[in-house]
Amino acid sequence: MDVALYDFVRGPFLRFALFVFFLGIAYRFFRVVFLGLPPDYARPKGNPYYMAVKKILIKPTMGWTFNEIFSRRAVNYVGGFLFHLGFIGLTFLVPAHALLWQEITGLPMPTMPNIISDILAYAALGSLVVLTVHRALNPVLKLLTGKDEYFANFLIAIVLFTGLLATRWAGSGYVWLLSLHMLLADLLIIYIPFSRLSHFIYYFLSVGFMGWNAGKRGVSF
Amino acid sequence: MAVVVSKEEIGKEEIEKFYQFCKNSINTEVAAYLEACVRCGICAEACLFYMGENVAGRIDPTLTPAYKADLLRDIYKENYTFWGRIKKLLGFGVKITPEDLKEQVKLVFYTCTNCDRCTKACPMGIDTPRLVSIVRGALTYAGLTPKDLAEATNLSVEKGSPLGVDVQTFLQRLEFIADEYEVEIPIDKAPSDYLYLPSSIELMKFPSSVASAVKVLNRSGVKWTMSTIAHEATNFGLFAQSREVTKEMLRRVLEGAKALGVKHIITPECGHAYQSMRFVAPNIFPREWNFEVINIVEFIEKMIEKGNLKITKKVLKERSTLHDSCQIGRRGGVLREPRKILNMLAEDFKDSVLIPEHNICCGGGGGVLVIADADYYRQKAFISKMTLFDKVGAKTIVCYCANCMLALNKGSQELKRDYKFVSIVELVAEALEDQS
Repeated sequence: MDVALYDFVRGPFLRFALFVFFLGIAYRFFRVVFLGLPPDYARPKGNPYYMAVKKILIKPTMGWTFNEIFSRRAVNYVGGFLFHLGFIGLTFLVPAHALLWQEITGLPMPTMPNIISDILAYAALGSLVVLTVHRALNPVLKLLTGKDEYFANFLIAIVLFTGLLATRWAGSGYVWLLSLHMLLADLLIIYIPFSRLSHFIYYFLSVGFMGWNAGKRGVSF
Repeated sequence: MAVVVSKEEIGKEEIEKFYQFCKNSINTEVAAYLEACVRCGICAEACLFYMGENVAGRIDPTLTPAYKADLLRDIYKENYTFWGRIKKLLGFGVKITPEDLKEQVKLVFYTCTNCDRCTKACPMGIDTPRLVSIVRGALTYAGLTPKDLAEATNLSVEKGSPLGVDVQTFLQRLEFIADEYEVEIPIDKAPSDYLYLPSSIELMKFPSSVASAVKVLNRSGVKWTMSTIAHEATNFGLFAQSREVTKEMLRRVLEGAKALGVKHIITPECGHAYQSMRFVAPNIFPREWNFEVINIVEFIEKMIEKGNLKITKKVLKERSTLHDSCQIGRRGGVLREPRKILNMLAEDFKDSVLIPEHNICCGGGGGVLVIADADYYRQKAFISKMTLFDKVGAKTIVCYCANCMLALNKGSQELKRDYKFVSIVELVAEALEDQS
């Protein structure tokens, strides 16, 4: 029975989740793209296209230059950076995950050593907890946060936690634990297009426009 | 002829108008910004109003830029997204009360100067001024512009200037300036290459600024003139986000520039004047607007580069710093030029920011200065600005926007500080004084 569940969450259900994910993300992305833009006849002062590409590539490193904001919001910057690094790194490069992606895509995937994936997992989980606590206490964040954020954080946290636990577990019930981890991961994949977690796809549009405007106005930042 | 209205009572009609305007303003760029927000709240730390309030230990989370776009975001969601539409069908749609709209007036008219600092700090690059402008436009469309701003805007349509400067007053003031400062001012002189427009703030409150600009223009040796048709540079249509007013004010500039056959328009030390003529006008008159629009600071730098103007004297001896006008600097790209000029003019110039784009707004831009109800917030914002002046220990602050100077002067007086605000063009004129 437990093997059947294991096969289900690793096979058909994962495929279904990925299907929903890609369809949902494509819908959300193109729905916004197809809204259209008014023409802009003002002659640009710089190079908007170059700046748009540049900002998309380097924007995540630019927040650090605002040092007085950084000093007040180090939790957001450091925590956010560690979390994203961990989350993206773990999703694709943990040996067990890479094997799975290899099976699905048929392409060879690079892997990272276990020691690094362990560090990333602790860093991501730790920063997620800290960020959530910060979210609950900071008055600005309290106003901005809805149920969506807490639910997403909770879901990601238990996916990370069960995954981390699975690498340490040696006793009975290992298959159950692994199945639970994958079931939750599948649910997370399905949940992404329905929530603010899909911000990663809007990053390209939003930051692209910001860079475009910076190029139009001839500012470097 | 009241174009912009300021109603006291908010009824169903106003709410509906607000809603429709917001709904119709959505395009790819706006939707991308609305969708991209990750609720991190970092923009709050970049906002001068929030920062100023914070100094006293009182945290007002509603001043967060992301929060200012939340009603617009809700309206967007229920009209353009799958879940939003379903929610609306089930009766869980956005319900706007008159109180909500009153809050929006406070959020977008009193506590936002469209300074763009939050955009630079936002990890997702969200252009909050763009979203705030839509909400401002919607409120104006619904007839809920703050009273003081509506009056000034209407006055600018009626008389030609928000301070009520009509052609007669304009000519009187120029005559006064010509006499007082002993300068020659060409008016309606054709053919000319350059058209210079003063802003009425300079004309009425800082006449020496206009005189200095005239001196610099005369000295640079270009063929230039002022116009009696295009005599006002400021555009209150942008503050109220009324397309009608923006268009009407720009139409006058276009008419004046066309009548004189000029190729270049020089905007004065005024933020929104530059913004409206450089970036807005080409989209309102795509075919007719064939002018090169430059700011007076850009012009001076160009003339120094060409060798028409030579600055050899350092006129500013004491420690000084630069205050950037957001609409000319951060949103207009004129940041390198004033620094270059000021380095020639000042002996002890110390920049208060490491990256010019990080400079803090004066707190009075975007029409906030004329709204009396916003005074409390403007004073708090001035505290944020003051920290930068005090950081470098400068009492002399060089500005390149008359509106900034007015707002900073006011803030400085209200908070009993002894800063001295000087215009960069005046310094240039002073440095050129003794040259033959």
